[in-house]
Amino acid sequence: MQLYHVSKAYNEGQFALQDVSLEFGRGEFVFLTGPSGAGKTTLMKLIFAAERPTEGQIVVLGRNAPRLGASAIPPLRRRIGVVFQDFKLLPNRSVEDNVAMALEVFGAPRAEIRPKVFKILKQLGLAHRRDHHPLSLSGGEQQRVAIARALVKEPDILLADEPTGNLDPDLTLEIMDLIASTATRGTTVVVATHDLGIVDRYGKRSVRLEGGRVVEDAPAPGGAA
Amino acid sequence: MTRNGARLVTALRSALRGLQGSAITSAVAVVTIGSTLVLVGAFALVVTNMEGMLQRFGDALSITAFFAPDATDEVQQRIAATAATIEGVESVRLVTKAEALERFRRGVGRGAALLEGLNENPLPASLEVTLAPAHRSAEGLARVAGSLDGLPGLAELHSGQGWVEGYLRAVNLVRGIGWGLGLVLGLAALLIVANTIRLAVLSRRDELEILSLVGASRSFVNLPFLLEGLLQGLFGGGVALLLLYTVFRLALPGFEFGLELVLGGVQPRFFHFAEGAWLVAGGAALGLFGAGAALVSESRP
Repeated sequence: MQLYHVSKAYNEGQFALQDVSLEFGRGEFVFLTGPSGAGKTTLMKLIFAAERPTEGQIVVLGRNAPRLGASAIPPLRRRIGVVFQDFKLLPNRSVEDNVAMALEVFGAPRAEIRPKVFKILKQLGLAHRRDHHPLSLSGGEQQRVAIARALVKEPDILLADEPTGNLDPDLTLEIMDLIASTATRGTTVVVATHDLGIVDRYGKRSVRLEGGRVVEDAPAPGGAA
Repeated sequence: MTRNGARLVTALRSALRGLQGSAITSAVAVVTIGSTLVLVGAFALVVTNMEGMLQRFGDALSITAFFAPDATDEVQQRIAATAATIEGVESVRLVTKAEALERFRRGVGRGAALLEGLNENPLPASLEVTLAPAHRSAEGLARVAGSLDGLPGLAELHSGQGWVEGYLRAVNLVRGIGWGLGLVLGLAALLIVANTIRLAVLSRRDELEILSLVGASRSFVNLPFLLEGLLQGLFGGGVALLLLYTVFRLALPGFEFGLELVLGGVQPRFFHFAEGAWLVAGGAALGLFGAGAALVSESRP
């Protein structure tokens, strides 16, 4: 995944991102840090083609994301798991249905989907809640459903925007361990977080954004991914 | 199950969920489609039965060609042979003056005594020309009559051409009214289905956004809405067919006398299976096109 001199302005002259050039390797685990409004979410939106850059090029999984036509975007997104800050769960569908949705878009049959969904829900401690609706869950549980939906399809890239924002410290570590383990299976993981404690604890590459610019790109200590 | 099959099952579940979620607006669409098809179907039934009657009487459609008084037996035989070779003629029967008189005698019954006073048989010999089934129409009658007309030895032609033409005009008028009303009401039904689906799209905007973010293609997103329209149309068509059948069966005994006047001895019939299926398919098409129109208008920026 490469970004070359990428800028994004929502209003003329007001840049959410400015001249950002970054490269993420396969299986690499990267933290995106920075204050609110630094451009972390915008950067993620550009990667999964929810936004187009004002300037620059973004190569994702070998495709030039900004130049993709409408029909080429869905196949790209199917290879990217995204954990949204606001979860984006459907309130009138069960936990199981919310997670299954990520596999249904592949055209996978129900018989194939159910065991995978059950497995990931079990890993995230939500198996007993699979028939519940999101609104009956706590914030932390909703966040785990969103993570389950992103991970169930075993994506090539995982983008997580504040994935532990609503979790207690014990669960935070549990979830971060799970996310980190996906990188060891070859998934490129980008986690946007305010929590510098996590960044220190995991000792991974950390890119700091401020005012839409990269102000620091600290490699993993010891060169570890 | 193939991936496309799984997609279809997923879309069908989503469509059924959508119908359940917007039960009232969906019911309005079903009732509109149903009402349109009841009306169109009623006209189609009338036209079908009128055409059936024409077909039935068509078996008896024939041309009677009367010979001139001076046509000798030889001339009559020659004309009969010529008539038999005309395209569209199934059979030709020569009715002699004597046979015509005998028929008349049988036809008038007791009044036959009146004929006793006649010195000479006043009835002309004639040819009864029966048309082949494929030519039993106003055009067929006109064509064969045209070929017979002017043959030397023939004095006059009688055919049911005028009656058939008038009847066909009536059938076409009923058919035209049916089509016209069907078109207007069909358009209204199309707009109502389109609005129902548009409302469904708007009420599920969040779901569509999330589906798009997890990688759903345009067709994956649109298919449930198309199926929703299709199901509304199928229900509407099915309801219309059921209603028409019920009315046909219940109301028929009350109109038997009037129908006998219009249809003669022909027994009115309901749609055949294929005709009924066409009516339901019409409903499905209305639903599908309505949904398609809604999706096209919703996808415009």
